[in-house]
Amino acid sequence: MREGRVVAALGRRALTVQFRRAQLLMPTFVLPLILLAVIASGTSAGQGLRGFPDVGSFLAFVVPGTVVQGTLLAGLTSGTALAGDIEFGFFDRLLTAPVHRTSLVLGRLFGTFVLALLQSTLFLLVALIFGAHYPGGPLAVVATIGLAGINAVGMGGITAAIALRTGSLSLLQSLFPFMFVMLFTAPAFFPQDLLSPVLHDISLYNPLTYVVEGVRALLNDDGSLGNPWEGLAAACGLAVATTAISTLALKERLRRL
Amino acid sequence: MSHAAVEVEALVREFKGGIRAVDGLDLEVRAGEIYGFLGPNGAGKTTVVRILTTLLRPTSGRALVAGHDVVHDGDAVRRAIGVALQEAAIDPLMTGRELLRMQGALHGLRGPEAKERAAALLERVGLTEAGDRRVGGYSGGMRRRLDLALALVHRPHVLFLDEPTTGLDPTSRAALWREVRALHEDGTTVFLTTQYLEEAEQLADRVGIINRGNLVAEGTPASLKERVGEPTVHVELADPGSAAAARAALARLGTVEPANERTPSRVALRTAAGRAAIGPVIRALDDHSVQVEFVEVETPTLDDVFMAVTGSHLEGAERAEEEAEAA
Repeated sequence: MREGRVVAALGRRALTVQFRRAQLLMPTFVLPLILLAVIASGTSAGQGLRGFPDVGSFLAFVVPGTVVQGTLLAGLTSGTALAGDIEFGFFDRLLTAPVHRTSLVLGRLFGTFVLALLQSTLFLLVALIFGAHYPGGPLAVVATIGLAGINAVGMGGITAAIALRTGSLSLLQSLFPFMFVMLFTAPAFFPQDLLSPVLHDISLYNPLTYVVEGVRALLNDDGSLGNPWEGLAAACGLAVATTAISTLALKERLRRL
Repeated sequence: MSHAAVEVEALVREFKGGIRAVDGLDLEVRAGEIYGFLGPNGAGKTTVVRILTTLLRPTSGRALVAGHDVVHDGDAVRRAIGVALQEAAIDPLMTGRELLRMQGALHGLRGPEAKERAAALLERVGLTEAGDRRVGGYSGGMRRRLDLALALVHRPHVLFLDEPTTGLDPTSRAALWREVRALHEDGTTVFLTTQYLEEAEQLADRVGIINRGNLVAEGTPASLKERVGEPTVHVELADPGSAAAARAALARLGTVEPANERTPSRVALRTAAGRAAIGPVIRALDDHSVQVEFVEVETPTLDDVFMAVTGSHLEGAERAEEEAEAA
C-alpha cells in the first residue's frame, strides 16, 4: 500500500513534468498527429492497391500506427526524463528516500502508462473527428487505449534500462531515430503483406507488429487484420520483460555505486 | 555507541585508478550536536556524505548512522536521515509545494498529512507565498531553503547538509544559519559540510577537518584554535623610544615577543586572556607612562588551524572573507 502511494506520487510527478516541458510534449502529442495527417492525406491512394485489406475507413487502418508510434515516443521521453534526473542529480534525492528500489522504476513507468492512455485517447478522438469509423465500437476503443498503455510500459522499460545503465541524457536523445526504425519495420501504416519481402520477414520478429495488427483488428472489428490476443501477449510480454530488465539495471547501478 | 548519531571506523573509498577519496577515516558525531565537516574542495567531504547517506558504498571500513549500518541496513538509515546535497537538483518544473508533497509520499505520509506538512514546512522556511510557483523561478537562497524543507519532511534524526550555503548571498546565508540553529535547538543532529570557516565557527559544536580523505584535526572551534597558539595583543606605541619600557611593563601579563627592527613602535604580547587582556595592558602601560596609539588583538582562526595541520590554507577562506567584505 505504502509502495503504491510512492509509485503514484512518482508517476504524478513524471506526468506533471511531461506536460510542463514543451520538448517532451511536442514529440508525444503533436508529432504523431502530424505524421497521421501526412499519411492519411498522402498515402490514402494505397488503399486501392491489390491486396490492401477491405477496410471501411483508411484513417481507422492507419491510426493504430499512430497509437503505437505514440507509445514508442512516450517510452522514449520517459527514458530521456529519467536520464535527465540521473544526470542532474534529482535521482539521488529519490535514492535517499526509504522506498523500495523497484518503486522508483515502477513510478516512472506508471507515468508512462498514464501518458499513453491520454495520448491514444487523443489520437483516436482526432481521427474520429476527421472521419475515422471504429466498427469495433467503444469497447474496442477502450481496449486499444489499454493496450497502448501496456505497450508504452514496454517501450519505457527499454529506455529506462538504458538510462539506468548509462545515465546519459545525450544517448537517450540519440535514440529518437531508432524508434522510427522500430515503427517502420512493423506494418504500422501499411499492410504486412504489401511490405517488401525483407521488411516483411523483419516485421515478423518485431513485437510491435502484433500490437499494431491487434489494435487494427480491434478497431475495425476484423479478425483478418490481426489478432488482439497476440497483440496483448506481445505488449504484456514486452512490458514484463523490459520492466524486469530496467529493475535489474537499477540494481546493477546501485551495486556499482 | 548509543550516543553516537554517526560512527565511522577505518572508512575507505577508492575510485577507479586507485584514487583514495577517503582513506581510513574514523569519526564520531554525537546525537544532538552540529558537526562541522570542514575541508577544501576534493578533500573527501562529499564522498563521506554520499557514503553516510547510502548513495555510495565504502570500499572498506564501517559506517553507522543512527545506529544502522549504511551498507547492510540502508533502508533504516534512509528512514532516519534528511539530506540536502550540494549537487542534488530540485526539479525546476515542479512547484515547491508539489515537491514537498511528493517527498512526503516518499516518506510514507498520506495525502492530507503530506499536504499539511508541506504547508507547515513552507511556512517554516519562509516560502509560503512562493510555494505554488515553479522552482525554476526561485532564487538560489529560496532553492536552498526549499532543499532544507525537503530534507525535513519526515522529521529526521540526523540531517546531512552538504555545503548548504555555497554560492548564497550573505542574507540568504544568515537565514539558513538561523534555521540550522533552530533545528539544533529541536534536538536534530546536523552533519554540516562546508568550506567556509565562518560557517563552521558560527554553527558547529565540534569541527572535523578533513584533508586528503583523512581527519587531521577535530574538536570545538575554540579548542582547535587554542591548539595553534594563544591570542596576541599588539600595542602600537606613540613613541618607538618607549618600547623597552613597554616590554618591561607587559612582561608580567604574558609572553612578550622579541623586538622587531622593522616595527620598532610595536610590542606584541601573547596571552591566553585574549581580548580580556586589553584593560590590564592599557593600565600597565599607563602606570609606566607609556603612551599608546592603539591596541589590537589577533586570535588564531580555523584557517590557522588548517594551516598548522595541513601546511596549506583552506580554499574558500579567502572567498568567504571577500564575500563578507562585499556585504
